Amino acid sequence: MKKIGKVLLMMKTFITILLLMMGFVQTMAQEVSFEAKVSKRSLGLNERLRVDFIMNENGDDFTPPPFKGFRVVGGPNQSISNSWVNGKRSFSKTYTYFLTPIQKGALTITQAKINIDGEIYKTTPQRITVTEAVEVPRDPNSPEYLIDDNLHLVTKISNNRPYLNEAITVVYKLYFRNPLRISDGRVVENPQFADFWSHNINIPQLKVENGTYKGEQYNVVVWKKSVLYPQKTGKLSLEPLSLSLVIDLPSNRRDFFGNRILQQSSRTVTAGRRTIKVKPLPEKGKPANFFGAVGQFNFDALLNKNALKATESFEIKLKVTGKGNLKLFNLPELVLPNTLEVFEPEHTENVRTTMSGMQGSIEDNYTIVPRFQGKYPIAPVSFSYFDPKKQEYFTLRSSNQIVDVYGGPVATNSTDKNIPSTTKQLITNTDESFRFIKLTPNLEPIVKEEFWNSKRYYALLVLPLFLLVAFVLLMQRNRRISGDLEGSRLRLANRLSKKYLGEAKKNLKNKALFYDALERALYNYLKARLKIKTDDFSKDKITKFLGDRKLAQEEIQSFIALLENCEVARYSPATDAKMQQDFDQVLSVISNIEKKL
Amino acid sequence: MRKILIFLSALMLCCSMVLGQEENTTFENANSAYNAGQFEKAVMLYKEILESGQQSAELYFNLANSYYRLNQVAESIFYFEKAKLLKPKDEDININSAFAQNMAIDAVEVLPKSQMTQWKEKIIDLLSQEGWAYFTVLLAWLLALFWGLYLWNKVPLVKRTFFVSTVVLGLLLMGSLAITFVKASNAADTTFGILFNNKIEVWAEPNKRAEVLFLLHEGTKVQMLDELQEWQKIRIANGSEGWIKDGKVRSLKGFK
Repeated sequence: MKKIGKVLLMMKTFITILLLMMGFVQTMAQEVSFEAKVSKRSLGLNERLRVDFIMNENGDDFTPPPFKGFRVVGGPNQSISNSWVNGKRSFSKTYTYFLTPIQKGALTITQAKINIDGEIYKTTPQRITVTEAVEVPRDPNSPEYLIDDNLHLVTKISNNRPYLNEAITVVYKLYFRNPLRISDGRVVENPQFADFWSHNINIPQLKVENGTYKGEQYNVVVWKKSVLYPQKTGKLSLEPLSLSLVIDLPSNRRDFFGNRILQQSSRTVTAGRRTIKVKPLPEKGKPANFFGAVGQFNFDALLNKNALKATESFEIKLKVTGKGNLKLFNLPELVLPNTLEVFEPEHTENVRTTMSGMQGSIEDNYTIVPRFQGKYPIAPVSFSYFDPKKQEYFTLRSSNQIVDVYGGPVATNSTDKNIPSTTKQLITNTDESFRFIKLTPNLEPIVKEEFWNSKRYYALLVLPLFLLVAFVLLMQRNRRISGDLEGSRLRLANRLSKKYLGEAKKNLKNKALFYDALERALYNYLKARLKIKTDDFSKDKITKFLGDRKLAQEEIQSFIALLENCEVARYSPATDAKMQQDFDQVLSVISNIEKKL
Repeated sequence: MRKILIFLSALMLCCSMVLGQEENTTFENANSAYNAGQFEKAVMLYKEILESGQQSAELYFNLANSYYRLNQVAESIFYFEKAKLLKPKDEDININSAFAQNMAIDAVEVLPKSQMTQWKEKIIDLLSQEGWAYFTVLLAWLLALFWGLYLWNKVPLVKRTFFVSTVVLGLLLMGSLAITFVKASNAADTTFGILFNNKIEVWAEPNKRAEVLFLLHEGTKVQMLDELQEWQKIRIANGSEGWIKDGKVRSLKGFK
């Protein structure tokens, strides 16, 4: 205070001398101004504020405002400047106060008063906002403060709410202005764009341009440009870019020639972490064959031949051209008849990535070899994409094409289980051609009465059995009528004669052989029926055996008589009639015995 | 009264003959339309005949050819199959059907069959259903006749011959009756159809939570097994089974 007072005193004397020296100079008619200037409009609770009350005419009786809400930490300091430039005088007198706020909120520095030439002037009230205490009260003259104020690394994102797979660009710009100069810089940490497909656009040389930042002129350097395709929906954060910069700052010192000495300081600047909200593609109207293509596209399927010989090859090219995430989706698959031999498609990409995203074309090239002749339809392939500008899905469809293959074998691949004759693969080697239509109609009604399963069918199937039964019944009835006894005897005799008298019957012409056979037949019969051994054939024994079987004496007698008769007749003349008679007699006797046994 | 009846029946006969005549003319018109390359017209005319209630393997064959020329795969295959049902061994039908099969997207490998099944099918397919019906009736009559002859005859050798033939005939009759019934029940149980959907997913179960087994395309012949609401169970020739939803499968037992 004392010092300032001394200075003031000195100044005062100086001015008086000046005034005395230039007494003749008229005071210029000049508008009087008296105003208050604050160094900051907004400050933290722990910061200081400088208030200047400046007048352009000397006055008396300065009354400062009460500074309600502030504490005066310095001042009032008075300074006067008086200068003449080209005969024009300018004068200013300043009262300076340093204040520190003692409360938060909107404070007002009320009016200060001064008496200049008998008139009282007042300043306009000043509004000051006092915020929370800041961590480090900034010293506006420190290099830190200067750098903070004049250097900004900014992330610019073209679209903060893109769709999934919609291209966005991220540009990192470095703004700086006087008095800073950047002499060197390098990247400390490059952002890794997880959850994005990213492409870095090469910047061949960093260029300083003019630009504005928050309405103020700056120098701008575009440090890094990237094109990103978000691969996930939701909130995605972009990692910040960190740069290590060497900054030249003018210091207060001057060199021998009066130039300011530059002070170098190193600084790491980081662009703030940014969050992007990725919107999912709308579900509404999403085509079934949508595979994630987002952008603006054209689609075509190109065929290089429409007609060819079997075993030659043709190509189908599926091509998508346009702008969008070309590298990030697959082309739709070509559906072809399975009888065609199809090779793996060759995929080619011709894509440039610029600031506006990927551009160019991708294509799948199929090589196909038909082995059999015929017509092969190339089913239309549809390709769907989402246009984020129009916010709509579009489906492009290739045209329906047919490849005609001639001059080859025909393949029969019947899938018919009903017809086994054609189930095997029938490949004829000759050039079988498509047959012409048939010319005879042979029409018949569709709804035919079927014989199978009809009543008629079952009737016809069962009828013969009934007829048979009827026939059998009829035969039996006939037999009953024509005398049962006689018939059955006859049948029995037939059976016996067949069994024993076959040989005798054959020899009806030869008397000796006939009787021999007849006699043997009788013995054989007994042997078979009574189980007698051949040696024991005496008449007594036969009589006894037959007697045991409870045969009538009469019948035994007739049997014995027959045996004797055979022996006699062999050597006696006999006619054919006698032989036949004997044969019949043997038959009847055997029949009789048979019935009794 | 009787006169009127005779007149009426004569009139009806006349009418039916005229009708038949008309269809034959339509058939010829359709043929010339086909030959002139007017396949749509040919299809229309052939269908007209079908709608009047007449059919033949030839009609189906020509219709299928017209559809083939019009590149309508499924329709073409459908009518070729219909033609095959009526005349399974016709060479023209089999060859052109192969062309149509080529055009279809799916080529299904036919499941190889065992020797036994092949024989079985060969025997079953020896005659048509009607043929087997007539054959069994014939056998039944022969059987009755031979049996009767056996009973009636008294000469042992002849009798024996008739007896043996009766036994053989009886066995034959039983066999062919069995075959006839098996064939009929086979035909009733198995329904084949042609798929008309451009593309359809075949699912493991009749709900969308299950997995998609494979894809089928237009013109594939499928066996229709089951149905549950809007789902149909199908089997294709390689033995794979699955469910399709709202499939457009046209049964070969139908006529349109």
